[in-house]
Amino acid sequence: MKIKTKFFSRGVHIDDKKSLSSGSPIRELSAPPAVEIALSQHIGKAAVPVVAVGDVVDRGQLIAEADGAVSANVHASISGKVVAIEKRPLPRGGSCDCVVIEGDGSDRVRTLPPLGELTRESVIGRIREAGIVGMGGAGFPTAVKLSPRTPVDTLIVNGAECEPYLTCDYRLMIEKTDELVRGIRLLALALGVERIIVAIEKNKPDAIAKFDAVQGMAVAELRKRYPMGSEKHLIYACTGRKVAPGKLPADVGVVVQNVATAFAVYEAVELGMPLTSRVVTVSGEAIQVPANLRARIGTSFRTLLDECGGESDDASVYIDGGPMMGATLLSTDYSTRKTDSGILVLTPRQASISAPTACIHCGRCAEVCPMHLLPMDIDFYTLAEDYAAARDRGGALNCIECGSCAYVCPANRALVQSIQMCKKKLREVKS
Amino acid sequence: MKPLVSDSPHIRGKRTTRGIMLDVLIALLPATVVGCIYFGGAAVASIAISIAAAVVSEVVFRLIKREKIKDILAKFDLTSVVTGLLLALTLPPQAPWYVPLLSSVFAVVVVKMLFGGTGKNIVNPAITGRVFAFIAFQSVMVSGWIAPSIGAISPVAATGASGAVSTGATELTSMLGGNELSVSLLDLFLGTGVAGSIGETCKLALLIGGVYLVVRRVIKWEYPVIYIVVTGLVASAIGKDIGLFLPSILSGGLFLGAIFMATDYVTSPHTRAANWIYMALLGVVTAALRAATKIEVVSFAILLMNFFVPLFNAYLRPRVFGAPSFAAKLKSKLAAAREKRSAAGKEDAQ
Repeated sequence: MKIKTKFFSRGVHIDDKKSLSSGSPIRELSAPPAVEIALSQHIGKAAVPVVAVGDVVDRGQLIAEADGAVSANVHASISGKVVAIEKRPLPRGGSCDCVVIEGDGSDRVRTLPPLGELTRESVIGRIREAGIVGMGGAGFPTAVKLSPRTPVDTLIVNGAECEPYLTCDYRLMIEKTDELVRGIRLLALALGVERIIVAIEKNKPDAIAKFDAVQGMAVAELRKRYPMGSEKHLIYACTGRKVAPGKLPADVGVVVQNVATAFAVYEAVELGMPLTSRVVTVSGEAIQVPANLRARIGTSFRTLLDECGGESDDASVYIDGGPMMGATLLSTDYSTRKTDSGILVLTPRQASISAPTACIHCGRCAEVCPMHLLPMDIDFYTLAEDYAAARDRGGALNCIECGSCAYVCPANRALVQSIQMCKKKLREVKS
Repeated sequence: MKPLVSDSPHIRGKRTTRGIMLDVLIALLPATVVGCIYFGGAAVASIAISIAAAVVSEVVFRLIKREKIKDILAKFDLTSVVTGLLLALTLPPQAPWYVPLLSSVFAVVVVKMLFGGTGKNIVNPAITGRVFAFIAFQSVMVSGWIAPSIGAISPVAATGASGAVSTGATELTSMLGGNELSVSLLDLFLGTGVAGSIGETCKLALLIGGVYLVVRRVIKWEYPVIYIVVTGLVASAIGKDIGLFLPSILSGGLFLGAIFMATDYVTSPHTRAANWIYMALLGVVTAALRAATKIEVVSFAILLMNFFVPLFNAYLRPRVFGAPSFAAKLKSKLAAAREKRSAAGKEDAQ
């Protein structure tokens, strides 16, 4: 069943470049010889290791425990021996403790015991146990999101996948429809809601058709527009409800979950498999054979790139995530985390690497801002170090950092970075 | 190849400042060509001098600031070419060579570069250059108008019939002075037989440029339309005659100002809604000043309104997505007050 959708007027239309990898079925990679598993791959406190160097672990075995409510368990993704627990750099900057496991080649699996009766509490408990976090990119612990403070009546499953190039969610939707439907029903059970909306952008008609045939779920066929997958805009498009600044989706009775998260829930509840692998899109014009790989968490980026035939000679910009909100990588010596939906390698022709020029006040950034902010004002006041004015006049704190403003900026200004800087400074003042 | 660092978003739209300025130049082409045909060699010389002076003064200014030639070339964004051309199009064809030269240098150096260059100027350089010329060289700016080489197609009075003769005033100033138009509305639209500044007389050419800018999404169609229509309406209201609508919008520099100058990004408000109000106010100011001064004031009106743009930007800001509207906020405040009152009433009763 399809439902009527609303349309937000801002945002940008971008060539989605999905055809590079959308035809490539998910390829299951065998266990890599070694993995490097970060203990902080979610929002909240880093997990505390429960194994020591020299321990032998199985795939699916708990190696680090959640520290407090907003944190997540971490599991071994291959079987083998723990060879190091040490600080390693993270792809988006900074560093954290990582458990390095050398594989023994056997790939022994230790699953969680079957769950018996499915109740709200048991499903949420299993999701917490399995270390599931929001796999769309934010990495917020899913169990926390499933226990909102205010009553909720709707579950929206985010299959918009509005970032260009990325196709991992799309492939999951058309290849693993049945598993996803079960995962989505489990999420609805955990939330205690009847109303389920699967939101998919129009550029994925086969995925829409698959979910249209499912009983008990509505499909929201979204107009193709970046950033359609932004939580607040997705909720507006599907339900017409607006989340006020500083409020949470649950405040308007909605919880949004990503399709990859729903798949992880299915595996954890029905197969007893903790979150130890995910689908990663490896794409970009400089990738020889773009693909969607199901890789173990902790697999090195280099391994993933080599699985796709490596990069061409003109590879110049390496990106962790999508091209709009991802971060550039200076090396490929990082490892996959639960939140990594893509690794892209672009050639100089696609990537924007020219220097910024002066703002000409054309107003394009304000025109496309999905949050109705004034990016040019935030940029101006931030560079003048007047962060309070950037907050009050430009609305800096409401920015979702989607990058629409910088995408359309004719002066190529680093608007997103200005806003991030402003937010950081305002946080410093506050604390 | 070594991996490069780039800021997110890592892909960008194709638009650049230089590209936008090139679009503006293309849009000005019809008016420029028609101006050169109508007013001949004097117009060509004026345009050439003005553009050359603008470009040279920008480059010299940057050299004095010890910028490297490589950087100057790399950063050359065509804005000074636009300024030079626009300024020349607002000058009378009879103006001697030093008028475009000095006004152009003034526009680029004083109005733009001294304030920090592209994007930093407070008022529109071309407009201010014209106002400078108007004040500094008053005699050549207000009298000695020459009629174009192509005479009126359908002259109303016999006086406007011939070609390159010297006329005392433009159609607009004579109309504001209370005289009957000497040419038909069609002539006003085409600029045939109409005296005026180099680029302002042929509305058709300006309109073609305007349509190009709208199609290329450089400007929004509503902006010049609001400005022009409001000017016409207010002028009709002041004259208490709706018949004044077409003559007042088709004469003078209104089309040139509304399409190419009021819409200048740097000196107009940031948001769409603010621009609607800005353009409407421009129309009111233009019509009112025209009626009060009996001279062409489009450039003065735009210059004046430029100073108010920071106010527009400070007070007309969009409401954040999801934030309650003004009405909703008022409603909830009233409801809270009512609750408080009834609670107080209950307490009293107890």
